[in-house]
Amino acid sequence: MQIKEVEHIKKLRNKYLASQKKFPRKVMVCCGTGCLANGAGKIVDAFTDALDKREIKHFAVEAIKETGCHGFCEQGPLVIIEPSGTFYTKVKTKDVDKIIEQSIERNEVIESLLFAEPKSGEKIEKYGDVDFFKHQHRLALRNLGKISADSIIEYISVGGYKAFAKAVTTMKPDEIIDEIVASGLRGRGGGGFPAGRKWRTCREAAADTKYVVCNGDEGDPGAFMDRSIMEGDPHAVLEGMMIAAFAVGADQGYIYVRDEYPLATTHLQKAIEDCQESGLLGENILGKDFSFSIKIARGAGAFVCGESSALMRSIAGEIGEPRAKYVRSVIKGLYDQPTVLNNVETYVNVPLIIDKGSSWFKGIGTEKSSGTKVFSLVGKVRNTGLIEVGMGTTLREIIFDIGDGIIDNRPFKAVQTGGPSGGCLPAEHLDLPVDFDTLTEVGSMMGSGGMIVMDDKTCMVDVAQYFLGFLVEESCGKCVPCREGLFQLHKLITRICEGKGEEGDLEKMEHLSQTVLTASLCGLGTSGPNPLLSTIKYFREEYEAHIRDKKCPAGVCKSLIKYEINDKCTGCMACIPACGYDAITGEKKKIHILDQDKCTKCGACYAVCKFEAIDVS
Amino acid sequence: MVNITINGKTAQAKEGEMLLSVIRRLKIDVPALCHHEAVEPLGACRLCMVEITKTEWDGWSKFVTSCLYPVEPDLIVSTHSDQVNEIRRTIMDLYLARHPNSPEIRKLAEEYGVLKTSYEVQVDGDNCILCGICTRICDAMGFHAISLVGRGHGKTVAPPLNEAPPDCTGCLSCALNCPTNFIEFSDQDDKRTIWNKEFEMLACVKCGATTITREFAEHLSKNRDIPFEYFETCDSCHRKETSLTMGRIAAWTKEAQS
Amino acid sequence: MKHDIGKLPEILDRHPKSQESLIAILQDIQKEYNYIPCEALTETATALSIPLSKVFAISTFYNAFSLTPRGETIIRVCTGTACHIRGAELIKDQIETALGIKAGETTPDGKFTIEVVACVGACAMAPVVINNEKYHGSVKVSGVKKLLKVKK
Repeated sequence: MQIKEVEHIKKLRNKYLASQKKFPRKVMVCCGTGCLANGAGKIVDAFTDALDKREIKHFAVEAIKETGCHGFCEQGPLVIIEPSGTFYTKVKTKDVDKIIEQSIERNEVIESLLFAEPKSGEKIEKYGDVDFFKHQHRLALRNLGKISADSIIEYISVGGYKAFAKAVTTMKPDEIIDEIVASGLRGRGGGGFPAGRKWRTCREAAADTKYVVCNGDEGDPGAFMDRSIMEGDPHAVLEGMMIAAFAVGADQGYIYVRDEYPLATTHLQKAIEDCQESGLLGENILGKDFSFSIKIARGAGAFVCGESSALMRSIAGEIGEPRAKYVRSVIKGLYDQPTVLNNVETYVNVPLIIDKGSSWFKGIGTEKSSGTKVFSLVGKVRNTGLIEVGMGTTLREIIFDIGDGIIDNRPFKAVQTGGPSGGCLPAEHLDLPVDFDTLTEVGSMMGSGGMIVMDDKTCMVDVAQYFLGFLVEESCGKCVPCREGLFQLHKLITRICEGKGEEGDLEKMEHLSQTVLTASLCGLGTSGPNPLLSTIKYFREEYEAHIRDKKCPAGVCKSLIKYEINDKCTGCMACIPACGYDAITGEKKKIHILDQDKCTKCGACYAVCKFEAIDVS
Repeated sequence: MVNITINGKTAQAKEGEMLLSVIRRLKIDVPALCHHEAVEPLGACRLCMVEITKTEWDGWSKFVTSCLYPVEPDLIVSTHSDQVNEIRRTIMDLYLARHPNSPEIRKLAEEYGVLKTSYEVQVDGDNCILCGICTRICDAMGFHAISLVGRGHGKTVAPPLNEAPPDCTGCLSCALNCPTNFIEFSDQDDKRTIWNKEFEMLACVKCGATTITREFAEHLSKNRDIPFEYFETCDSCHRKETSLTMGRIAAWTKEAQS
Repeated sequence: MKHDIGKLPEILDRHPKSQESLIAILQDIQKEYNYIPCEALTETATALSIPLSKVFAISTFYNAFSLTPRGETIIRVCTGTACHIRGAELIKDQIETALGIKAGETTPDGKFTIEVVACVGACAMAPVVINNEKYHGSVKVSGVKKLLKVKK
């Protein structure tokens, strides 16, 4: 399959779409990491096996699509029958025959496999009608779940590479940059720097060699949108990079992929190879004087490599230590050459902007943050997963309409955004329209889009301690404020969690935080104290309870809590084997006894008890 | 040349020159534990931070590490503003917690008013402040024998695989430039030991005093085009020889003139 | 102790001989041997003409590399934020107790290694534990023992 001119893309697309008409129904099996973990691979096998065994009317192997992640991982494996959009969740291999007989052959809906809304219990038949999807606006995630993840022809069949062809054959590089500037697209990796401005600076920098780099080192714990996009729509990432390369005049691209994302690497690698084979990457692309190739650089487990200068050093095979940059990487980046660095989500928006125009994009979202944002909505929320909404959507809409509220109807306490650089926002900010600037104003940040929902059983001191612990592990150790400062902040907060906190500790932490924020070398340090400061700001009384009363109101900090069995115990014996430490003894129908000396406060008994017979105090 | 203002006084500097070198030229005392003129700046200790602004910045200012900040025209620099002093004080406080036994750290901390650390003292803290001067100098010498190893708080300076470093020549550049005198070595008789590696010292053919290690001499004669025999004479014997030669030349000249 | 590094030439052949390949080569070595034998480190340095000290620094900087042999089964406990607030610490404690080792250690019989991962990006299934390559989602404290017996 050779693509030498724009017409070839069109022809390939039409030919493929015509060939697909043979199959009136398609089976989309979600094969994202989440669904694969839940057994999606076996579901695909079961469909293929069934076809091996007998001929099925209107159905063939070509109609089974192994798609990217829908974002609704908790309900996986997910199977969708198209074009009806019938949506099946938690599908098991034994369900496959039934799906073939009823849904494929007879076009019927299998009630038992439908998703029931947690709040109402109502069974929902179609994918688009589920609350989780209904309120979303999917642009960056446009193809996830719609096409076979690693197939170039499937990508082309949904309009893929059309924007690239348009850019290369009908637009001048400066026009492309004008379009990106006009769209107001801001970097989705955290800082929200205008992508177009970055491209312009790189284009104007005088150099023979320039690079386009994609940051796929999604290190923020609690965020996984880039993973899902790289796995589920790798060609969209490549297309965005190709447009950027043409616009700034780069001939070499790199995608830096996190070590923990092997499937993303595999799919991107295949996508690159397919592009090379077809001529979309390589020399004289689409017959023009434009050559571009892309290499994958795999990370090796260092959060700090998400920082631009560290990432570029890591690509070059060096230690991922950030460099002080009073000269920006867009002027002097990879191998000291001008380099455009954007993240995965930013690049996948690019083809859409070129295809539909900047004013269309500008019309979505808020004035200063146009477009949409993908969030990974996780934590103590009923519907967890990957979601995409227009900028300016409120936290309440995201958490309560899409996320369907808090697990077990517990009260909402806080939402953490922005990962280790961000902060925790309390209920008073639930009606905040989310965009780059509003989040910063209230002491958090957009970051890469992790959104971790917390209920009253989440201890905010513990959360801050968690983030500081994470950063101490991930600090590269180069500069003193970050290496020693975060270390001491972690020591201080750990003492508070252990009930050894003293009056004045909060002030001491706030003071030290200021130096870490101001004097650290890179973003890891200059934003590191944010989770601490935002929790002190909004949940000071919880800190004070730990320090003054030696109590953890949320019942989380182990040194400050105690598990006890009360008289609601029915003697069901469920907790005895659940305890991994033999701390509970007892006989059937008699109140069990918990040995405090053996108890490690792991909470296993609490989790299995059906009679609320275990108190945490 | 460009004009900048440092602590209210006008100073001249080459454009692109690092701010710290201008500051030091003016004999203004700004601490910098990871700075060494022989090697590229690192920006690790953050003690050389200064506050900068410009008239057109409308009162806004920022903090930069002067060792890495290239001079721009019309920069207004404060090397000891209250906030800068506070940053240095906190950094020394942190250093003191980690290296409570280092005399150099204690002295500098004292200068910034820190007599006792506010933070948890690391009882087993050694005196290596991870400034990387030793490793950068070793690299600059062309040996690359040691490096900063690991990351974060557990980072250390070490030879590869924590074994005697194969590329070390015992030149002592690391130890002699360590700001906290952390790197140990011993010279005994005709043996030198550093990084657990033992070296043979060359002895002066004239007086028997030790000169440099055989490895270092071999390296220099190979890479710097100096005859190996040159290192078999110690510095003072070299000087004696030079003065003898000079004396002879003087005698010959006198002889020739008369 | 000498280690067999017979596969190393093949690994080195797969990559261009430049510093840019170093991390990829170390990753391949790690994958082949489950750790990076020190001989492999030395040979890689020679093959790429990079100082050994630099190769050592890189192999100790990145979490993906281990210079000591690891267990046949690697239990990776995700402690990302989503997993953390859904009880990952308790799961980790339970696994440590069950195997009698701490995170980062390997059992004396060489069967198990426990590793803590900052986030595997499977947050919607928190808490997550990965037994070799197999992902386990929504892990409960009571389910840990069963999970450990599940071989790949």
